[in-house]
Formats: sequence, structure tokens, C-alpha cells
Amino acid sequence: MKSLNILLVDDDPTALLVLEKGLSLQEYPVTTAADGEEALGRIAGESFDVVITDLMMPGIDGIGVLKAAKARSARTEVLLLTASQSLKSAVDAMKNGASDYLQKPVDLGELLIILEKIESFRNMAASAEELREAMDVTEHNAQETIGRLEMEVARLASLLEQIREILSDETLEAGKRVEKALHCASNDSTRGG
Amino acid sequence: MTTQKITADEIELLTKYIYDVSGIAIEKTKSYLLETRLGPLLDEFGLDSYRALHEKAKGDFRKSVETKIIDAISTNETLFFRDRDTFEVFRNKIIPDLIDARSGRAPALPSVPIRIWSAACSTGQEVYSIAITLKELLVDLKKYRIKLLGTDISDAAVSRASYGIYSKFEIERGMPQPLLQKYFSPVGANWKINDEIRAMATFQRLNLLAPFGALGRFDIVFCRNVAVYFNPEDRKVLFNRIADILEPDGVLIIGATESLTGVCPRFEPKHHIRSIFYQLKGGR
Repeated sequence: MKSLNILLVDDDPTALLVLEKGLSLQEYPVTTAADGEEALGRIAGESFDVVITDLMMPGIDGIGVLKAAKARSARTEVLLLTASQSLKSAVDAMKNGASDYLQKPVDLGELLIILEKIESFRNMAASAEELREAMDVTEHNAQETIGRLEMEVARLASLLEQIREILSDETLEAGKRVEKALHCASNDSTRGG
Repeated sequence: MTTQKITADEIELLTKYIYDVSGIAIEKTKSYLLETRLGPLLDEFGLDSYRALHEKAKGDFRKSVETKIIDAISTNETLFFRDRDTFEVFRNKIIPDLIDARSGRAPALPSVPIRIWSAACSTGQEVYSIAITLKELLVDLKKYRIKLLGTDISDAAVSRASYGIYSKFEIERGMPQPLLQKYFSPVGANWKINDEIRAMATFQRLNLLAPFGALGRFDIVFCRNVAVYFNPEDRKVLFNRIADILEPDGVLIIGATESLTGVCPRFEPKHHIRSIFYQLKGGR
């Protein structure tokens, strides 16, 4: 089984069946929807890796499906299927975030190449993400340690300042100063501050 | 892809050159960094050595080669809401405290000024993360006079920040889905920041090692993960200058793994929940 979870949307039952067969033969898990409305129901129910949708459909069209899929998850890749005369709307679809478009009738070989590209891209992104996570953990630990040390250094600096003040307080005798300084160090008021 | 190897002489030449034009101190052991970042420029200009690149940069009075070298070297890791804890303390502590202090000081003012500087904004993710946080927290921005400035040494980074357009991968790094839907619109395969958020920020190119007093004063300065590329002396100069332009009760935020110990004694660390920020000693 391939790893891309695909939703296929077309109001033309024959085209839908042909593509579903073609993709299933390549072991892609495929869900189908016979129109835009059904597609939106499917998208609400589960998140797809790829949505392949006809552009021109009565009611909710391909752009509507595209927007719903993108709103559900920005990670979903949407491929538009267009009749050759609707090239301009295909370009509009690209502007709305479609990954690519294919002219009908769909060349299955071309579609499979696009899907493979999407898959390898996703794998690359996934390993980058794993590296990123490993780095985040390391960075987070370093952050805690550095933060703790930073506060500790500031605390010790302020303690040192207090002791320096006591030791140079000429209104006290030398013995008193040392006693007071030691007291200050052991009852460190800056601790935990 | 093979990258041209760099020789010891060329490392010497280029690390000095890069330091002179940008203040970025590259350790001589990091030859790989020079190779991976500058190698593509050799191809672009059709040059056969890093020495030739150096000569071309020196002889180019329009500084376009210099700009390209700085862009290549200074491209650094950035993402939306980098360090969750930092943005939490910014939202829950720093901004509320600042607004309390400012409203109390001049209650007659019709709007509260909030001046924030992102000192090494790279491609803008930090600035827009700040802007989105402010918008989410304050809702009605008309009650505040927000000045949000992003600067970076790289021209390319500053213009990308200005466009506010990000690839899907840049967006996925850190931008929560609800905020994405609320504050970005799809443009082709990319996402563009909405005008309202974009309009909150201004961007300009700035070398942090040149004097920057002319920027005016700030309430909050983000200077994260950039001083690490400077040598210790320059780091001291930089944070001292930041101390000069920060309001007495202002806040400095540095990278989560950075430290000011031994760098600038004018600042003291303040701890809040899991995060640290800095204020001027005796400021508040």
C-alpha cells in the first residue's frame, strides 16, 4: 500500500471509475466522491494527503473543494482536473493554492509521476521535521540550563555586591563587618529570588 | 552537486572580508560554511576560485557582489513563533506590564505607544509573529500607537520580509493552523500575510555593528540568535548600544540559548515561568 491517502472527486461517473481503478491498481488508498457536496462531507470527516478534483462541477465546484481541503489542512495537496477550454480557471485554481492541474482525459502516467513527486517531497519534509524536532529538544534543554545559570550568576553577583558593601562599611568595626558579611552569605536573601 | 574546496589562504581572505563588511565572525575552522554558502556564487558569476570572488567583490563599486555575499552568509534559521516560551512571556507578561506602566504614566494620552524592534528579522517571521501576537492580544489596535520595526543586514532577507510571502514549508514551521487561516491568504502554493498585519510593520536594512541611535527609542527589543555570529568585543558594543536606545523600563529579549553574562552588566535577567528576559538595572 502506498502512503498517500487520496480523495477523488468527479461528477462524471465514468471518469471517476477509470481513475479510481488506475490509482487502486498502483495501491493508492482511494476514496471517491460523486460531487462537490459529497467531497466536502468526506473532507470534514478525514484529512487527505491529496485531493484530486474535477474543476467544473454543478453546485460546489473544484475551487470550492480546493478551498475546503486547504482550510481542513494546509498540508493537503490539491490537483485540479480541467477540460482544455477551462485553462484560465485552472490558472485561477493555482492562485488559490492548487499544487497542479491536469487536462482531461487524464493521462494516468502523468498523474502517477505527480503523485510520486508529492510523495518524495513529503518524505523529505518529514525527515526535515524529525531533525527539527531533535534540534528543538536539544535547544530546549540548553535553554533551561542557560536560563538557570543566567539567574544564578545574577543572584551571586548581587550577593557579592551586598557583601562588598558590608565589608567596606566604615561605620562598623572590622570584626563586625566580617560577622555581618558571613551572616549575609549564609542567610542569603537573594536565594530563590 | 559538488562544491569547490576552499584553501586556507582563501579562508583567511574571505573571513576577514566578511567580518569587515558585516561584522559576522566566521571561525576559520568552518570552511564548510564558506563552501556551502559561497560555492553557488562561484557558479553564478562563472568564477573558478574563492579568491576570484573576493577580488570581484573588492572591485565592484556598486556593491552588488558584496550584497550577494552578505545575503548568502547571513541566511539563518528562522521560523514563526520561534521559542514558544518566549512568545508566551511576551504575550502574558511583557506587553501587559508595558501597557499598565504606559497607561498609568500618561493617562491623558489618547493612545498608548508601543515601540518594538526586531533587530535581526531575517525574512520577517519574527516580526509577523510579534504583530499577530499583538493583534490577538490587543484586538482593537486603534487604542495603541504601534511601531514595529524589523531590520536585517541582508537586502534579500529584508525584501522577502517586506513581501510577506512564505512557502508552505516555512508556514508549517511554527504557524498554528487557526492563525494561518486568520492572518494569511493563499497565493499559488504560497501564503501571504494579510494587509492588516503587514501594515503594522516596517522593514529596513541595517548593520548592527554600525551606530543605530537614529532609529529612536524602543520599549521592547528582540535581538535573538544574531550576536552569536559576532566576536565577544562586538557583542559587548552591540548590547551596550541596545541599552542606550531602550526605555529605562524597556525589555530586551535574546535567543533562548544565548546569555548576557559577561557581555553587558547594564542588563539584569528576569525570570518568568519558563523564560528569561532582560531589563536595565535600576530601571523599574
